[in-house]
Amino acid sequence: MLLNLRQVTFGYRSPLASPLDMEVQAGQVVALVGENGSGKSTLLKTLGGMLLPLDGSLELEGRPLAEYGLRELSKKVALVRMGLAAPAEMTVREFVSLGRSPYAGFLDGRSREDEGIIDSAMDDMDVTLFASRKVAELSDGERSRVYLARALAQQVRLLLLDEPDAFMDIPRRKNLFVTLQKLSREKDMTVVLSTHWVDYAEKYADSILAFTSKGMLEFAPASRARELGLLSWAEV
Amino acid sequence: MRRTVLGFVVLSLCVVALSFITLVSGPVDVSMGGLLESPIFWDLRLPRVAAALLAGVALSVSGLSFQTVFQNPLAGPFVLGISSGASFAVALSMLAGLGFGRFGTLGAAAVGSLAATALVLGISARFRNNTVLLVAGLLIGYFIDACISLLITWSDAESLRVYVSWGMGSFGRLTSDGIWIFALAVAAGLVLIGASVRYLNGARLGDDFARGLGIRVSLYKKLVLLGASVLAAAVTAFCGPVAFLGIAVPHLAYLLFRSSNHRVLLPGSALCGATLALLAGLLPEYPLNAVLSLVGVPVILWVLVRSTRRGGL
Repeated sequence: MLLNLRQVTFGYRSPLASPLDMEVQAGQVVALVGENGSGKSTLLKTLGGMLLPLDGSLELEGRPLAEYGLRELSKKVALVRMGLAAPAEMTVREFVSLGRSPYAGFLDGRSREDEGIIDSAMDDMDVTLFASRKVAELSDGERSRVYLARALAQQVRLLLLDEPDAFMDIPRRKNLFVTLQKLSREKDMTVVLSTHWVDYAEKYADSILAFTSKGMLEFAPASRARELGLLSWAEV
Repeated sequence: MRRTVLGFVVLSLCVVALSFITLVSGPVDVSMGGLLESPIFWDLRLPRVAAALLAGVALSVSGLSFQTVFQNPLAGPFVLGISSGASFAVALSMLAGLGFGRFGTLGAAAVGSLAATALVLGISARFRNNTVLLVAGLLIGYFIDACISLLITWSDAESLRVYVSWGMGSFGRLTSDGIWIFALAVAAGLVLIGASVRYLNGARLGDDFARGLGIRVSLYKKLVLLGASVLAAAVTAFCGPVAFLGIAVPHLAYLLFRSSNHRVLLPGSALCGATLALLAGLLPEYPLNAVLSLVGVPVILWVLVRSTRRGGL
């Protein structure tokens, strides 16, 4: 079991939702859906170990998340936020190369193996073509893929994505979900992504975690989410 | 990669050539043969080259570090009030006659700049917004300048003359005994910053991002700020408040090396800074700050304009 949550509550001071029980296998895709402001980003931060749960037990690969050292955790979990502003001089390759930072030595060098991993992460996200362009000059959609490539280069077991599809057009969005599904299987990596696109979540995710109404958080297999009422809040 | 190597080679050659020119030229003609026996060489020219080299390296690396940590291209020891802190302590010792014992001007400058850094750090821990920090740094700078001007009104003509000439900056004040202390202080600052390359490379994207890469942000931020303050303090103590290099040179290095990797930028900035400082030091009869700005501003504007035309910025 990659992720195991028992009665976890999260938030900054008071819990944002009912206690959550959730088990996720390695290689699965979990879609996190809910209205704006329901607590999706806060939950992702909690899963990424940047915010301690208020209560309950949160285990990653059978070990409490709080027991991991900072560097150790960065080899297991990466959180990707699309709103990040990249510095003006940074090229795509330099940015993706940051993903190897947790593995680097004292002087932050990169081995030949690291360079190979960077190359294949850029290939996976289809950004090799503009490797030497500046991140700040890319379109929003291109930049999102570069941000994802950094996380892939980090070779984590748990990839947390905060609305990775926010800036993408429909073909790109479909492509993203297909790619994430494929990568999670190939690399045995679990992906938890928040999204507003419920129909994509239903089609491409293995399970759905939904803020169904004020303070209610429910978890179910994607194939049964609609009949169990997890998506009724999103119906037009 | 080729650009990086070429940049390092060309700049190193510039540094060597300019050092050589500084060593063999001066108001007094010393024959090449007798150069090494001449006291002018050991007591005047060598300290002058050492001062320019160390100050150029220290200010550029310090400026780059501040810009990276605060994610702001305007940050630098002057903007953050750190040089003002050093100046204030030196003014206290020179104008108010407060002796700092055997620590002298260096000790005073170090204490002053570290106190200002502590203040800046305290503010940055309270407000996570870097713009607030820059405004606070500027305000601290103004406040300290006001205190210095009070000290100036109360002081006698002779100590005032000493202080004003210190304020113009000079590479000629370093003595041959002082070289080692200056070099040690600069080495200490460089080691603190060099040990934090992994942090510096992540820091440009914010503390949360760097933490996500497994970097102990609060520890390394303190190490880097301490190192950068020691560098700024050392230069202020030995050469006076040397403006301009700290803020401008990192931008020159970005443009020349087209990289955001501090493994390239740190040595790159150091070499650019040493080159510019040596160039400015070729005119020892004029105030250093004036020459630095007169030589440096056109160079950097030229690079900026050229790279903008090519679409580099």
